[in-house]
Amino acid sequence: MNALIIFVLLLALMLTGMPISISLGLTVLTFLFTMTSVPIESVALKIFTGIEKFEIMAIPFFILAGNFLTHGGVARRMINFASSMVGHWHGGLALAGVMACALFAAVSGSSPATVVAIGSIILPAMVKQGYPRGFGAGVITTSGALGILIPPSIVMVMYSVSTNTSVGKLFMAGVIPGMMLAMLLGLTTWFLARKNNYPRMQKASWKERFVTFKKSAWGLLLIVIVMGGIYSGAFTPTEAAAMAAVYAFIIAVFVYKDLKIKQVGKVLLDSAAMSAMLLYIITNAVLFSFLMTSENIPQAMAEWITGKGLGVISFLLVVNVLLLLAGNVMEPSSIVLIMAPILFPVAIKLGIDPVHFGILIVVNMEVGMCHPPVGLNLYVASGITKMGISELTVAVMPWLLTMLAFLGLITYVPQISLWLPNLIYN
Amino acid sequence: MKFLDHLEEWLIASLMGAATFIIFVAVVHRYLAGLPIPGLQDFLIQINTSWAQELCIYMFVWMAKFGAAYGVRTGIHVGVDVLINRMNPRWRDRFIVFGLAAGALFTGIVGTLGASFVWSIGHTDQTSADMEVPMWLVYLAVPLGSYLMCFRFLQVMVHFIKTGALPKHDHSHVEGLEDELTAEEKGAKA
Repeated sequence: MNALIIFVLLLALMLTGMPISISLGLTVLTFLFTMTSVPIESVALKIFTGIEKFEIMAIPFFILAGNFLTHGGVARRMINFASSMVGHWHGGLALAGVMACALFAAVSGSSPATVVAIGSIILPAMVKQGYPRGFGAGVITTSGALGILIPPSIVMVMYSVSTNTSVGKLFMAGVIPGMMLAMLLGLTTWFLARKNNYPRMQKASWKERFVTFKKSAWGLLLIVIVMGGIYSGAFTPTEAAAMAAVYAFIIAVFVYKDLKIKQVGKVLLDSAAMSAMLLYIITNAVLFSFLMTSENIPQAMAEWITGKGLGVISFLLVVNVLLLLAGNVMEPSSIVLIMAPILFPVAIKLGIDPVHFGILIVVNMEVGMCHPPVGLNLYVASGITKMGISELTVAVMPWLLTMLAFLGLITYVPQISLWLPNLIYN
Repeated sequence: MKFLDHLEEWLIASLMGAATFIIFVAVVHRYLAGLPIPGLQDFLIQINTSWAQELCIYMFVWMAKFGAAYGVRTGIHVGVDVLINRMNPRWRDRFIVFGLAAGALFTGIVGTLGASFVWSIGHTDQTSADMEVPMWLVYLAVPLGSYLMCFRFLQVMVHFIKTGALPKHDHSHVEGLEDELTAEEKGAKA
């Protein structure tokens, strides 16, 4: 009964359009003042200590690192490199778009920024080459979402914070699914392009490939620093994030020279504001899950579900549907912070691997960003292509279906996610 | 008012930069101190950087609280607006005002809770584990930040009622994109 009141209250508050962090906090306060005997002091303590973990501090550092490299110049370099590699195949420029999105998204860490950066440069070029507008829009909208699966990923840090799963393992687990999804999106593009006979580009020479690679390599090295640092044990994930931020600063200001030194303050301010927003949601989500735990809700749900005889297969199906629905109205970080603490105990009770469960949630978030009526990427893409949402919905369909099929695969074949981390950590 | 705005921006940006720098230095120090260079090694081992993590956490706590207030002013806190965007404008406006008032209420309550908490630990001699600074000083961020946030919510609400405009943060802004696109146009013409 209490669980029902909490959820209805939260849902009602959220639907009024107030910030998600505020609706979480007000739900907790209302419940505490009216219905429970949990002392208010313990809540006050949670407000103070909710984000006092060094692991959480990876989030601001990753945001800062990403913001230094979220720049038109970096996007251009990634596109040049990608088109020199895959441009000569069917649908060359579109394939390059998929690859450039994957690279830029991994480095910048923001899906909407990826759609805008890569899309604004590559879409006009595609139209000029004779591609229909919807084709390019479909490619970029869906490929832009790749970033949260390819490490370093902030959404994965969020999951690890709310479930105490190892960040290192999650990052490793994201590598193969991330590359696989990029390949599947590319394959879909290739088939459509071959069927419709879309233009190919001239094959680049190995020299051109090397030159474009060298230019984009400075940015891509960021991923290597983070992954290598964590894997070799040289850095903790948070330290790796801080090193990545310093590295990104040096590359942006002194190597690429995209950023003037007086613009650095603005990048710091934007990153601080973005991090503060996420940390504020975390603080309130910690309060919320504290309330849930003190009311024994996750445990009760776990028992109820196992008592119903719901097996792994049907539970994961329910999780997917639930997360896809949530993906309609909220952005990934909030969904993970609210849903993960509730669903995680059930998953553990059913014997699902925590890392696999995390990857499953992240893939879900990716699909959620691209599907109508309210995917974030869809909106951003509609902004830069001047296409309506319904028109775009039709345009993204082939890639969206690919993503959904991939989600099914990830859900029921845990080995795709677990093979690499198990190989490395065991 | 302008002064407060600038102070807020300057504070969170420098906390962000300083925390990054501190962790960077601590990591570099850890590795350099491992190198067997006579003299330098002895010197480096004497320097203690174990407080770096703690300082970084507290800096980010301060940044988070004041950054959240700055975020209210710039409209970075996102909510679920699918439903209210489909209502007629009069009801939509009412819900927006309600949301902002709720924000002010929540942050006001948290600020007050925080203030009394800080008051009570101010009378103890609790200090932090590594740096041994008094805890009330660390936790002062909560009442200060929350009250500032409360003030910002009210400010945005008054502004909205007067002018009907809300601050809106562009989550998809990419620096330097304009330059790239104009460079391309010029290149095409040449």
